[in-house]
Amino acid sequence: MDRRQFVKDVLLWTAGVGLGVPCWKIAPVRAAPFPPLLGVVKGKDYRLLVEKAVTLVGGMAAFVKTGDTVVIKPNIGWDRSPEQAANTHPVVVRALAELALDAGAARVQVFDHTCNEKRRCYTNSGIIDELKKIGDPRIRWEHIDERKFVPVDIDRGKSLKRWEIYKDALAADCYINVPVAKHHGLSRLSLGLKNSMGVIGGNRGRLHHNLGQELADLATVVQPRLTLIDATRILLRNGPQGGRLDDVQVLDTVIASADPVAADAYGTTLFGMQPREIASTVAAYEMGLGEMDIDRMEIKTVQVG
Amino acid sequence: MIDTRQKPQDARGRLLLLRRIVQHVFLAIFLVLFIKTDYSGSDRLDAAVNILFRLDPFLAAAVVLGVKTFVALVLPSLVVILLTLVLGRVFCGWFCPMGTLLDLSQKLLPARDKKNRTYFPGLPLFLLVFALVAATCGFAVAGYLDPFSILVRGLAQALYPMLNSVTVGFFTFTYQQLPDFVNAFTEPVYGVLQDFVLPSGQKFFQLASFSLFMLLGVLLLEAVQRRFFCRNLCPLGAMLGLVGRKGMFAGHGGNEDCGACRVCSKNCRMGAIDEDRKIDMASCTFCSECVAKCPRQIISFGFSLAGGNELSQGSGVSLSRRKFVAAGLAGFLLPTVKGVEVLAKNPDPLLIRPPGALAESDFLRRCVRCAECIQVCLGNALQPALFQAGLDGMFSPMLVARTGYCEFNCTLCGQVCPTGAIRQLTMPEKHLLKIGHAWFDKDICLPFAKGISCMVCEEHCPTPDKAIRFKDVTIQRDNGQSITIRQPYVVDELCIGCGICEAKCPLPGRSAIYVTNAGEHRHPEKSLTTYAGYN
Repeated sequence: MDRRQFVKDVLLWTAGVGLGVPCWKIAPVRAAPFPPLLGVVKGKDYRLLVEKAVTLVGGMAAFVKTGDTVVIKPNIGWDRSPEQAANTHPVVVRALAELALDAGAARVQVFDHTCNEKRRCYTNSGIIDELKKIGDPRIRWEHIDERKFVPVDIDRGKSLKRWEIYKDALAADCYINVPVAKHHGLSRLSLGLKNSMGVIGGNRGRLHHNLGQELADLATVVQPRLTLIDATRILLRNGPQGGRLDDVQVLDTVIASADPVAADAYGTTLFGMQPREIASTVAAYEMGLGEMDIDRMEIKTVQVG
Repeated sequence: MIDTRQKPQDARGRLLLLRRIVQHVFLAIFLVLFIKTDYSGSDRLDAAVNILFRLDPFLAAAVVLGVKTFVALVLPSLVVILLTLVLGRVFCGWFCPMGTLLDLSQKLLPARDKKNRTYFPGLPLFLLVFALVAATCGFAVAGYLDPFSILVRGLAQALYPMLNSVTVGFFTFTYQQLPDFVNAFTEPVYGVLQDFVLPSGQKFFQLASFSLFMLLGVLLLEAVQRRFFCRNLCPLGAMLGLVGRKGMFAGHGGNEDCGACRVCSKNCRMGAIDEDRKIDMASCTFCSECVAKCPRQIISFGFSLAGGNELSQGSGVSLSRRKFVAAGLAGFLLPTVKGVEVLAKNPDPLLIRPPGALAESDFLRRCVRCAECIQVCLGNALQPALFQAGLDGMFSPMLVARTGYCEFNCTLCGQVCPTGAIRQLTMPEKHLLKIGHAWFDKDICLPFAKGISCMVCEEHCPTPDKAIRFKDVTIQRDNGQSITIRQPYVVDELCIGCGICEAKCPLPGRSAIYVTNAGEHRHPEKSLTTYAGYN
């Protein structure tokens, strides 16, 4: 192929693509099932907790079909160890990954857009070591690849109209959100909706200026099929990164739900707070993204082990 | 299979080949060590990555003369001294990575000068004397001239990040613009490059172009003369020449039988062979080209207790008494200018040193500007200084927090520092070590200036007991409505000056919180003013 031909081919290949920035359109929000079903499981065996919680909300087969691409999005934001409760517990992540594989997932991707240096976060969260133990090539943990951020129009957004979002999170057949429940100075708590900030690019701090509403806006396009809140240990103070074991309380609990707002609302009660105290929960509820009234949820509580 | 009936020509050719192999192997080792100067998933780094600088006797001498104490870290340089005592400047010809790069450059840029007379034969020794006297007087400029410092600075602060930028740019194009069947090929290539060659992320440097030009300049001078830098500038080479000129392994130059033949002196890359075909062992690097090319096989190398030829007058490493005194005086007098620079009265408050850096004067005397700390810095926080630390502080590392911050759990810079200018810290030490202090610019900080909530700085503040906290303050909007907003403040006793707040401040342009070196641990006189005040 000569140079002239090459240039022609490149132009052909990129026709319509090279001309403008592609913008992703997101399908309308799925109607949340009502009443929302919550699986709340307590016990010492974290693997069992996850299995049971997922079973209570319909089993992994309800979320993952054979051949699906699954994204598991834990919180790996900080260079902290598992017991410091700043990141999702590695055993919880592993259990979910194994359940997804068992349900027939063709590929399970695990990633987070970290706040501290990415390799330190991945290593010291303990998550990579735990995933390696599965020894399955279908599992991929990868660092955020800047090339994969795509601008997304947030049609229903009230405050956030357009932002760069990680393509893999949007393109997954099943997106599973696995936040750790913890304190946060501005939003008071960091739960499922806050965890979605880990799949966006750009100047993320800007969202803080109207955080509650912007997280709700983001939730109209980043839509987990399953939210599993890791409250095996929670960070009570000095969040979201903590660092002091005095600030950590062991609860040995996980919460699973297909309704992201309901999961957050219930998670809030673990801190002795009311769902209405969390701005993002209220904003998302008002936008019809899920339920925040604890009394209107079907909550199955189980103790295992 | 070895052919024992080889002609001598082949044997001599093999010596050349062996030297080239050794050169390239050591260059490869150097490059691998350079790439390995990075976080590898463990808090501890292999010690070997800074070994090149610890082997360098020129830098070792400058540091020891500067601090006037024994510095155990630079002991490995004795190995090179011993090697040179026995074998002469074999280091320059066979092992020095800069020398190898120069020889490679020579292939691309053949020297135009055919007369092959060294332009400034006395300059390397002049620079050596100047740098060592200046170092003794507390003016550390050895790192400006050292070949390894120039090389690693050029790589770390320019070429390596440039390689990443270009590669990522290319694979971004293929990924975003070309069809899948192309990506099926290009993406795995990109993956391999990321795993084994490229840095983990894009870094940005002040002085990137300056560092690049310095290195490129040295390489481009090959077009003027072979090994121009080694012959006309390199103070390390001058030092090794002084040490090694009476080495036991020496060259035997030509004699009367040579006739008019000047093949050896014309081909000598170091200009070490004079018109009489005498070899100056202070310049000869045992590259062996003369041995291989000598048509009558007169030139040879061998062990002899008598040493090599007598030094030819006026060539190689020698300096007239007058020039020697001039070099010494320059090294003695130039440092006095430091005392009248404005920085002597009014040091730059933005000069934030890496955690574990010694007190400024000791730090500068030890720092050899090798850029190892800058290369290893995870957050792209460390930058080479220009004039922030004075004329003798150029290329020394400083934290520029808007570009990058100091990772709370990272102690790598102290681990790679070859001279102990940055101490090795334990993790608990690091967590408490104050390198600076954060200040709010309330005129632009959103909760103060605009009544808009933010708190990104507080979120990122890494001290377990947060050094950035907030007060709930009720403010009145223009329309009379009262709102409560969280306004941040810094706790003096807890802030360690890591700069993550400044790095992550979401304001475009200037950060609303910035770090200065106020209160830094190494200068007790800078401790922050604390009276009861508002507390």
